[in-house]
Amino acid sequence: MDYWLQQLTIGLSLGMIYALMAIGFTLIFGVLNVVNFAHGEVYTIGAFVGLLVITAFAPPLIAVVVLVMAAGAFVGFGLERIAFKPFRRFTDEASLKSRAMRESTLMSSLAFSIVAREGLEIAYGSQYQTVPLDYLINQPVDLFGVTIVVGDIIIFALAVVMLVGLQFLLTRTRVGLSIRAVSNNPLGAKYVGINTDRTIITTFAIGSMMGAAAGLLVGLYYGAIFPSMGFIPGIKAFVAMVMGGLSSIPGAVICAIILGLSESLATAFVPSVWADMVAYGFLILTLVFFPQGLFGTGRERV
Amino acid sequence: MSDNRFSASLIVAVLLVLLFAIVPLILGWLGRSYLYQVANIAMIFALLAASLHLVTGVAGLLHLGHAAFYGIGAYTAALLATEAGWPFLATLPTAGIAAAFFAVLVALPTMRLVSIYFAVATLAIGQMIYLVLLNWVEVTKGPNGILLFGGLEIFGYDLSAPHLAYFVVAMVTAVSIWIIHRLSHSYYGNALRSLREDDQCADALGIDTVRLKIEAFTLSAFFAGIAGGLWAHTTGYISPPDFNFATSILILAMVVVGGLGSLPGALVGALLLILLPEALRVIGDIRNITVGIVMFLAILLLPKGIIGEVSALDLVRRQLAGAWKRVDGQGIGWR
Amino acid sequence: MKRNILLAAAIAVGLGGPAYAQQTIKIGYQLPLTGNTAQYGQDFKNAAEIALEKFNKSGKIPAKVEIVYEDSRSDAKEGVAIARKFVDDKDIVAVLGDFTSTVSMASAQVYKSAGMPQLSQSASHPDYAKISEWQFRNITTQAQEGPYNADWMLSKGYKKIAVISEQSDWGQTVVSNFVDEVKAKGGEVVFSEYFNRGLADFRPIITKLARTKPDAIYTGFFYEDGAQFLKQMKQLGVTIPVHSTSAAYNQKLIELAGPDAEGVFLTATFLPSNPAPHVQEFVKEWKAKTGQDEPGQFPAQAYDAVNIVLAAITRAYPDVTRKSVRDELAKTKDFPGVTGDTTFDANREPAKKLTKTIVKDGQFVAIEN
Repeated sequence: MDYWLQQLTIGLSLGMIYALMAIGFTLIFGVLNVVNFAHGEVYTIGAFVGLLVITAFAPPLIAVVVLVMAAGAFVGFGLERIAFKPFRRFTDEASLKSRAMRESTLMSSLAFSIVAREGLEIAYGSQYQTVPLDYLINQPVDLFGVTIVVGDIIIFALAVVMLVGLQFLLTRTRVGLSIRAVSNNPLGAKYVGINTDRTIITTFAIGSMMGAAAGLLVGLYYGAIFPSMGFIPGIKAFVAMVMGGLSSIPGAVICAIILGLSESLATAFVPSVWADMVAYGFLILTLVFFPQGLFGTGRERV
Repeated sequence: MSDNRFSASLIVAVLLVLLFAIVPLILGWLGRSYLYQVANIAMIFALLAASLHLVTGVAGLLHLGHAAFYGIGAYTAALLATEAGWPFLATLPTAGIAAAFFAVLVALPTMRLVSIYFAVATLAIGQMIYLVLLNWVEVTKGPNGILLFGGLEIFGYDLSAPHLAYFVVAMVTAVSIWIIHRLSHSYYGNALRSLREDDQCADALGIDTVRLKIEAFTLSAFFAGIAGGLWAHTTGYISPPDFNFATSILILAMVVVGGLGSLPGALVGALLLILLPEALRVIGDIRNITVGIVMFLAILLLPKGIIGEVSALDLVRRQLAGAWKRVDGQGIGWR
Repeated sequence: MKRNILLAAAIAVGLGGPAYAQQTIKIGYQLPLTGNTAQYGQDFKNAAEIALEKFNKSGKIPAKVEIVYEDSRSDAKEGVAIARKFVDDKDIVAVLGDFTSTVSMASAQVYKSAGMPQLSQSASHPDYAKISEWQFRNITTQAQEGPYNADWMLSKGYKKIAVISEQSDWGQTVVSNFVDEVKAKGGEVVFSEYFNRGLADFRPIITKLARTKPDAIYTGFFYEDGAQFLKQMKQLGVTIPVHSTSAAYNQKLIELAGPDAEGVFLTATFLPSNPAPHVQEFVKEWKAKTGQDEPGQFPAQAYDAVNIVLAAITRAYPDVTRKSVRDELAKTKDFPGVTGDTTFDANREPAKKLTKTIVKDGQFVAIEN
């Protein structure tokens, strides 16, 4: 029984990590309806900035997180200006509906991510960076017979804060209202007088803030910080988002947790090399039975 | 009118002469097998980009798992050549058919998905196929890869040398691309385009959207499989990392940067993304970041692609002169 | 046009002329200078530069030797293109590389058909040296290391052993060679699994492994995955002794894992603390050139590989051609490298001596037999 409980706990902690990433990712997708391929790099940049701060000033962890979030917001702003804004310059109907335009933001964010990752690699090398050992948040904690680590508690707390904070932001504030309006119908929001540009920038800033914080915490959790660290979490976040139904952030979180659980529990039954297969198989099954994702709210098509 | 048709076939004739006569002459004169190798790789990826263009550019289905079918084709060809001793002429079409077969299997449950859901499903499927290639060691030899000792043999003549293989690859690629071209510039291609523009509308018009999607998907997988067979025989060694997600993204980038919806665009994109990193080797370690910047600039300045569909359709429009005329500078009908 | 014909004629004469008309002898080196495995490639380059500089200064032969580096990104596509590039360059008489077996094997096909000797410092695929008479390698294969480790672990009294290794051609050889020997000598393998390289979270596997209650764990990692594994083992409170192969032998393993690396056993062919003068010289030059603490196994392998090729060129001089270099390489016997004495057997595989080490107080320490 202990064994299963332990695997379950590990799965939950894995899921929370994916959820951290999925939250920011879903927020951005929800607003612009485009996949942000560069979110994984924002995550990585967050981790590297955090590492820089730690090795330079060695401040307490909270300060590092706050600084990283600020850096993340800044990067998000830059990302939006460079990779997404230039493609909104065409406002004629044909271009708005053109698929080619939407795919082009996909590619521009991909190009941005390539440049960012290669840049980090040139600056730091592609190996795992050495992290000062006292900042690694992986001191074990014994909880009712299963072992978790301090980092699990921190990540869980942060995920909860993010979720609750976002829900509050989206439903109780003007900013949130404009975000929801733009994600529902950008042209309509513009007609109603909402400054779509500023709303989009805000969304990117918030989403990237969360992504950067996620990168820092996961980097400290595993003690593994390297330029291509955002690639796999980016894919997992994407999968979680779609599985959850594109528009629902809590949905994405739940699906991220399901993904983590399925990976960990699968390892208990089959060799771990097939564990990813189980996660993807799960996704396909979900999509076959729930073509709009688990919590999708029948999005208007095109 | 006869002028326009003449000019179109002139373009094709020029391209063929270029491909089969001028380029080999230049490469032969320069005498470096390296250039032949790069040319072969460029052609294989041109075929991959063309096949992805069929499903993503024309039918509008964002496909994130294309490299997996490329891999199935390569492994089929390699396994048949090494385990069963089949000759190249037999393994190549079988590679295509095997890839198409798996595409049908995969397409059936997922065809009712739309846009981003379909994209994620193809991502998952691509990853699953990759994992099988990597871990099913009994059949695919897993990470050890497969070594082909036979190389490229046709009717007993050994054509493995790069300058001879060039002609084989060029022939197969040219024929395949011609087929894809005919498919996309026809009423069938129009039907596929209607899927991309508005599939609910197409459905209402009586077009069997599900069947069309499955067909487009399968056809693209067939050609990807052929490309895989070419790769296996010309390189002589294949292993799972050749067919991972990053490769799928590379092929997608070729199609989008070159111009979503235009076949010449896909070819240009493929040539660009294969030849540019090679050409930039001289600048050393910053070449990848330079490729990223070039890609970004290409998309920024030409968001509809280097040869966007618009210009490609203009070419076609001129061919059917008169049917879709521009009036007062305003295009009507197709964009 | 006439100028081109004259130029071509001049080149033809120059090539057909006697070998001593060559002022520079070139060696090609294909390695990953960018991409996920760039850290290894950069290490190889540094080691190669140290070796080359020393050789050119020593003036053993009147001609100067040059190394041409090309970045393969550990991608077979690029590796094959680079191979063709090297083959085209008439001045290149031998090639070093690549890092991974898959790229080395794909490139080997080119070198085989063109007749160019290729020495890989790290390719461990069992079929690599069998491709043709032109392929060499100077890294101990698992065919030697596996049984060595098996005997070591059994001699310590371990009866039940768990095995975990990365899913790659190298990882496969780690497991098969080790397991065969353990079973032959009466031990029991209670757990044997692979993981996909780059796995961030080993905890599900560790939990599963611990459940089988082995006496010891044999691991096939490179240092990054190794560090992750060790850290997470400690997190879960699993204290089973861990043995690993020479691939994990790198100062960075200790840097990344910190105190969690204490007590890990490894086999190594290269020990920076070895007092032999040529080893100490290499260590000193390495520290000076890269500012790192100590070189690991892989840079040492590259250093030796370059020196072996240079030695073969020296022996072949003044008739330095691809064929003559290949023949001289095959004759390499008891070459005194920093990773031990190297001799190529009839299959162009090396026979090396292995050392047992343990991580103690943050350092690798040799264990006396």
